[in-house]
Amino acid sequence: MTLRRTLAFTKRSLLQFRHDRRTFAFIIVMPLLMILIFGYTFGGDVQGVKVALINQDKGIQSILLPGNPMPPGLFLAENITASLDPITLSLHNFTDPAEARHQVDDGTLWAAIIFPDNFSENFFTSLSHPEYAIHPSIEVYLDGSNPTIASTVLRTLSEAIQETMKTVARWLNISQTNASLVVEPVYAYGGGSTRFIDYFAPGVISFAIMMVTTMITIILFVNERRTGTLQRLLVSPAKEHEIVLGYSLAFATIGLLQSIVVLSAALLIFNISIVGSLPLALLVVMLIGVGHQGLGILLSAGARNEMQAIQFVPLILFPSILLAGLFWPIESIPSYLQPLCYIIPLRYGIDAERSIMLRGWGVGQVWMDIVVLLVFAMLTITGSIFLLKRKK
Amino acid sequence: MTVAGNPGETVTSTCPTCGFRGIIRFEEMRRTTAPLVHLEQLTKTFGSFTAVDHITLTIHKGEIFGLLGPNGSGKTTTIKMLCGLQRPTSGSASVLGKPIHTKAVMQQIGYMPQETALYSDNTVHENLEFFAGIYGLSKERFRTQEERLLGFVNLEQWRDSLVSTLSGGMRHRLSLACALLHEPQVVFLDEPTVGVDPELRVRFWEFFNTLSQQGVTVVITTHYMDEADRCTRVGLLRQGVLIAEGNPHDLRRTTGTASLEEAYLRLAGRQSA
Repeated sequence: MTLRRTLAFTKRSLLQFRHDRRTFAFIIVMPLLMILIFGYTFGGDVQGVKVALINQDKGIQSILLPGNPMPPGLFLAENITASLDPITLSLHNFTDPAEARHQVDDGTLWAAIIFPDNFSENFFTSLSHPEYAIHPSIEVYLDGSNPTIASTVLRTLSEAIQETMKTVARWLNISQTNASLVVEPVYAYGGGSTRFIDYFAPGVISFAIMMVTTMITIILFVNERRTGTLQRLLVSPAKEHEIVLGYSLAFATIGLLQSIVVLSAALLIFNISIVGSLPLALLVVMLIGVGHQGLGILLSAGARNEMQAIQFVPLILFPSILLAGLFWPIESIPSYLQPLCYIIPLRYGIDAERSIMLRGWGVGQVWMDIVVLLVFAMLTITGSIFLLKRKK
Repeated sequence: MTVAGNPGETVTSTCPTCGFRGIIRFEEMRRTTAPLVHLEQLTKTFGSFTAVDHITLTIHKGEIFGLLGPNGSGKTTTIKMLCGLQRPTSGSASVLGKPIHTKAVMQQIGYMPQETALYSDNTVHENLEFFAGIYGLSKERFRTQEERLLGFVNLEQWRDSLVSTLSGGMRHRLSLACALLHEPQVVFLDEPTVGVDPELRVRFWEFFNTLSQQGVTVVITTHYMDEADRCTRVGLLRQGVLIAEGNPHDLRRTTGTASLEEAYLRLAGRQSA
């Protein structure tokens, strides 16, 4: 392999985009439009969010309290947890708060809801003796990197609290409890200020590079075949891997440029917050680009002209939009469809980008995603080299 | 009319029919000894259809060899096999003494496919530069070659134009320039003159002659019988079978016909009879 020959492909295709201004505009404008259009609000019904539950509430003897139809012993935390929507939240009981927090930190769980041991006691004390004013509090240790999930967890919890308060009010025969229950969210990531746009930007970047690379590669290679240039290349000293790697370099460059533009726009217009390493984020973008370039070459074998190539768009577009967790967290997808999400390579790209940009994770934590993307890239690239060899 | 002479000799001759007097200088004897392309029982079948049927043929250095035949006679398939684009079903072929499919041979081969095969979203210069990169031409060599070839195909003023804005004839000329950029020893031209206007065709043939004089072997497919007359040797193909080969003059003489077209029809008739 000579670098010179490989670079000849890179240079030619990049020059092509310089002449074809409209395609170039598409590459840059498409992701910008996406971030502008979808950038403000979007949300789906989230289901099965993995949450740790640490119930240390010792409860309280009801005899100490005035009033009638109450159970003999009262465990308020239990009442609240029983009211938590079991579809929205998937609850896992923990005894050690440190362990639960740790699992939120490493991304296994989205949140840990912690009831302190004096929770019921404080509640009823503040009810009967407001002057002592020790407010009962629930700690929610939360991964705020996904604002949809974070707000869902908090909303579900407050709904459960309201539900429980109604029951308590009925028991005490009062119209309303005036005890203030404090929910203390502690953010592992995102600090509660993560807006949808922050969450959305890393996804858009991954998605845009995936779409642009796949589509343009398909069309590029359909044209190489149709116009006969590929035949010319095959009757030249250029080796198949030089062709593929030469184009890979071009797409990595385009991906880099694209991400820089989208990121700058997101930073300037929406003032998004990036806590992680930018070079690592860009590296992942390039990896997504290279893998999908290989996919594009493979798919190009199935299209005889540009018209047929266009028909691949919905095939790639919809699974990515719906299943890769671009707009909605994978938790909002029906559970029987969720396994499908994990076979879409883009999912790992989006996951890695979010973890890097929003949680500030490094290679040590996103290595799984990177390995999946690397394997994907290696498979599609070797596959496309073999495809070109076989085409003889 | 045939005029004979030795290398370096200048002969003055008068045409017996029109009376036109001309001076003919014999530059160089064509060295037709070294076999450059050799086909041995080369066969290609697609399912039950035999596109190329046991062709055995040798092409020598400096020849302009024309593969002649109607559409579907197996010309393009033969060229594609010689270029390594299609694998023979049976038989073998060698180019420059090496079996086909070796990348080492590719550096010495020029190929102009039937399709124009250019990057239409790149300029003339960018196309040439790209192929120069593929063939590993040095910057200086590329510069001289580009100048020389653009001059030859008369595209100097279009150097920075996008290929998509060029006319069909211009694209053809550029395509030829791309095939010759790396100064190959053998060029395979698949119907290089289809859709080319008569004036340009004449120029193409002048250039093929120049190439041949420089010792470059030119293998051309065509279905224009008048063009085939300009080849040093032709192979007549019919339904994948090589029905005759030889220089056009001899073919006409042995068949007792006035044109290659008649010669072809007579030979084809004999074959089917």
